[in-house]
Amino acid sequence: MTHSLAVDLGAITLLGALLALDRRAAFQLMLSQPLVVIPLVGLLLGCLPESIWLAAIVQLLWMASLTVGASVPPNETLASVVIGGIALLHARYFDGLDRATEALAVLVGAPVSLVGRWLDVRLDKENAHLAARADRAVAERDYATLSRLPLVGLMRTFVADGALVALSLIVGLALLVNLRPTPGGPVYEALGTVGTYILPALGIAVALTTLRRRRALALAGASFVLTFVGLLWLGRTE
Amino acid sequence: MSAQINRGVLARILWRSFFFQAANNYERMQNVGFAYCIQPALERLYAGDDLQRAYERHLDFFNSHAYMTDALLGAVVKLEEDVAAGRISPDQVRAFKATMMGPLAAIGDSFFWASLKPFAAALAVAGIFSGVPWAPIVFLLLYNLFHLGLRAYGLSAGYASGERVFEKICRIDLVQFSDRSHYLAGICLGVASATLLDTTLHGPFALGQGLEFVVLVGLVLILFQSLKRKLDMPWLLYGFSALTLSFVVGLNTFFPLFR
Repeated sequence: MTHSLAVDLGAITLLGALLALDRRAAFQLMLSQPLVVIPLVGLLLGCLPESIWLAAIVQLLWMASLTVGASVPPNETLASVVIGGIALLHARYFDGLDRATEALAVLVGAPVSLVGRWLDVRLDKENAHLAARADRAVAERDYATLSRLPLVGLMRTFVADGALVALSLIVGLALLVNLRPTPGGPVYEALGTVGTYILPALGIAVALTTLRRRRALALAGASFVLTFVGLLWLGRTE
Repeated sequence: MSAQINRGVLARILWRSFFFQAANNYERMQNVGFAYCIQPALERLYAGDDLQRAYERHLDFFNSHAYMTDALLGAVVKLEEDVAAGRISPDQVRAFKATMMGPLAAIGDSFFWASLKPFAAALAVAGIFSGVPWAPIVFLLLYNLFHLGLRAYGLSAGYASGERVFEKICRIDLVQFSDRSHYLAGICLGVASATLLDTTLHGPFALGQGLEFVVLVGLVLILFQSLKRKLDMPWLLYGFSALTLSFVVGLNTFFPLFR
């Protein structure tokens, strides 16, 4: 079991470091969004169905994390790799996955987004060397070097993000396993309440702040009421 | 299309543009990425001192939206052809880049980051809460239809229209798409909230007596107002979780029959 857990930790680290490249350094196909990252971790660990709900909640929580202009927002990709990784490793190797465990995984993994932002800033500062190397390459007419510089940038991001993911997974999983309360106890009930009410409500609230039109908020309210009434009506007629 | 700049060269520029931000830096932002992307065209158009000078002008400060840069790359390749043919001066290329990067970034930021991404994500989240497990695939397909389409179109339109690329991009009317995306995202978030509430009513932590409705709607309103007042998401996450933990553990301790 220990060997398999180690292999899975390594595989999640590799996957996380690759997906982190998609966030800004390469492609930007949105493979780095929590909606995709967590199901991919689930697919890797063979627990895809358990991953989908958590992916939606984590996506909502970091919905307003936008790389606009030169701003560096919290790194939702690294946070979702760690949150999804520790929650799903717990599901596979320890004691399943429920709302309380999901809530604890989010509380344990959320700070990784802030450490990830710090790392992004550091990488951008360090990349000043690449701009200087590009100047030198052009001065020396060594244009082949210029074409290799983006690859150097990719490798730095891959290694730095991979190291952060690996460390966070190990620390996060240890915290999750040791802090998770016994099912049925008051702390377990409280964490279940956080997972059922606080996380979704905060996620929806964050997502609502991304609506830049007043009428869009009114439409959200109207569609909420109509859908809820429709669901109640369907529930009563069944 | 000229003899030097054929479809193969444009295809290489398009491929390289996917790594446009790989060497992002605080000093000159995406300058290395821009020079890397335009390299195949420069090496076709120039040699010797001219090539060196061309590289130098593309290592200036550059900061724009990654997807919209393809349109600018296409237009700059066209201008570089004119420079190579002696029709315009190299300074015009520099001025054009400096003038266009801001407006194109504004369009890209407002359409892709502030509108399309939240809409596609809200649609997928509503799908997941409604029991559609493949909703993340819809998110990827919807987003990348616009993303990849606009990148390919931008490069070819930029090359075809040169300095008039901004008019071509404006003709797509991304602002109207943005408005509609916000409205659709609003509808999706309403549906997502309702299906989430319905799931909670039947879940293991249901409160009964219809209290779920009051608690969830009340929490969303309070948290939304807090976020609007510039309180950070992590503070609210830990603050409200700590309050809930204290409240529920306290209730269970002092009133064990409450739950």
